[in-house]
Amino acid sequence: MKRITAQNIALYAGVIAVCAFLLFPIYWLFVTALATSAELTQLPPTFWPKDPQWETFAKVWAERPIPLWLLNSTLAAVGSVALSMFVSVLAGYSLSRFSVRGGHSLGLFILTAKMLPATLLVIPLFSIFRSVGLIGSLWSLVIAHSTLIIPFTTWMMKGYFDTIPRELEQAAMVDGCSPLSAMVRVILPIATPGLAATALYAFVLSWADYAYARTFLTNEQGSWTANLGITTMKGEYVTDWNEVAAAAVFIAVPILIIYLFLERYLVGGLTAGAEK
Amino acid sequence: MASISIQNVYKNYGALNVLREFSLEIEDGEFVVLVGPSGCGKSTMLKILAGLEPASGGRILIGGRDVTDLAPGDRDIAMVFQNYALYPHLTVRDNIGFGLKMRGIPAAEIRRRVDEAARILAVEHLLDRRPKQLSGGQRQRVALGRAIVREPQAFLMDEPLSNLDAKLRVHMRAEISALHKRIGVTTIYVTHDQIEAMTMADRVVIMKDGLIQQIADPDTLFQKPKNLFVASFIGSPGMNFLSTAPADGAAIKLFGKKVPVNVSADRLKQAHSNGGIVAGIRPEYISTEGGGTEFIVRPSLIESLGSEKYVYFDAGEHTFSGLNDEEARKGLIARLAHSSPLAEGEELKLSFDPARVHLFEGRSGEALN
Repeated sequence: MKRITAQNIALYAGVIAVCAFLLFPIYWLFVTALATSAELTQLPPTFWPKDPQWETFAKVWAERPIPLWLLNSTLAAVGSVALSMFVSVLAGYSLSRFSVRGGHSLGLFILTAKMLPATLLVIPLFSIFRSVGLIGSLWSLVIAHSTLIIPFTTWMMKGYFDTIPRELEQAAMVDGCSPLSAMVRVILPIATPGLAATALYAFVLSWADYAYARTFLTNEQGSWTANLGITTMKGEYVTDWNEVAAAAVFIAVPILIIYLFLERYLVGGLTAGAEK
Repeated sequence: MASISIQNVYKNYGALNVLREFSLEIEDGEFVVLVGPSGCGKSTMLKILAGLEPASGGRILIGGRDVTDLAPGDRDIAMVFQNYALYPHLTVRDNIGFGLKMRGIPAAEIRRRVDEAARILAVEHLLDRRPKQLSGGQRQRVALGRAIVREPQAFLMDEPLSNLDAKLRVHMRAEISALHKRIGVTTIYVTHDQIEAMTMADRVVIMKDGLIQQIADPDTLFQKPKNLFVASFIGSPGMNFLSTAPADGAAIKLFGKKVPVNVSADRLKQAHSNGGIVAGIRPEYISTEGGGTEFIVRPSLIESLGSEKYVYFDAGEHTFSGLNDEEARKGLIARLAHSSPLAEGEELKLSFDPARVHLFEGRSGEALN
């Protein structure tokens, strides 16, 4: 009994240490936003501002087009999620269920696309988008982000579909479904945790992008995504780090909300297949 | 309900023949069991029948209608799967009614038929639950409910009892048989369990390596096996096999005695030169009561099951080389009911009726009598 208690203490201590390590940047972001400019450069640093500057948030919200940037980021991310989920669900399902000659090699080939660095694709994508007139449009981000997302999400979905017994579709087909309706009516509802985990991954990847937004969007600040907008707050000579941090808090909030909303699916998604 | 005609159906995966020229006529309302060891092609045949796998050749008719190229949903059959394949996101009611919904049956009619199927299978109280909240036996009933609610031309069952524990399996076996008698739908049932096959079937199809070995009712399979494989597959414990040789006339030599058999001397000689003669005696036809051919053995092992005893003894000069190591090591077996106390190593007089001896040709395995 004593040993179990000691183990528990060690376990909780470990969990607390890991959480502290992971949460520290968020805490520091928040403290930076609330601190005065003088406190930011002070040594030793203060771990909670003496006079929290809550008005920094109001100031940033009023002076910068944060809502517009958030909207642009959201549109690009939602578009990327929609496009990449549509493609990767169908591709992942095909890779999981249909054995065609060369199918496995094709699957691996798709995955190798994930191994290309994003910067390698910037120039060819720019050239393509310019020729079809998509430069400056959020569609360029939707397509560019999808090229990054689809290879990996296809394999995520394939892995999830592999854990679902084939007999379920077979039963649905005997019950009168076509292969496609068996997938839509039976397999996709069962794959909800996998879909949620994959969609979240896709959303975060699109939301966190900077390089593509910097390259494909124009210099009008109304067209920027949040990540791009925030970098313009860094001045050539002076940077108000508390304002940058306040804007970063605004940008982090949507992701946190989505995580909270999808958490119950996500946990299922991560553990699915463990019992098989 | 309908008759089913399977005509020369075969299936190849590249050069691998998993099913060879399978032909079978199934009468309306018949209960046919396909049985055989793993990889014999029985489940492949069932999937081809269901339309879940395409055949490489041949034709299938259900109720006189050619369904060979039809989609599973258009064949008017229902299937029960080994792992039940219940839709986990739907309630029991929706699971049972799914097939009817897919066919555009009005909601009120679906409700009535689901209630009726649930009543027949005694799952009315489970209709609002989801599959994960059910026990193995209840899931099996729901899977059966999903099949019967459709009122299909035929039921296909793919080892539906193999996920249940032994006691529940016996119970569900009886329930499925009773259900078949009650609704009388043509049923094709796949299993690797010969006891299921023997207890449930009107006719049994025994398969091995993609080939039908014998099609017969259970009694015929037991009494007149067509070859060594069927003889060894049916019966528990399995038939004893002894390597033997012809004696003068229509007789063979067993345990130093001349045993008359109902096979001509010429046929015996021919078989002897064709890989030898194998005699088969079922353990239940060896007794301690005397009469017929008597012989003395020293039991190497005696297993008591309470109501009966399994007595193992050495085959000696009759050891049949076609057996696997484990079977050969165990030797021969006699299944003795109500015997007096026995001891291992002590002499025991056993006997068998020569009319009960099966004879097979060594090389081909074909039955001689």
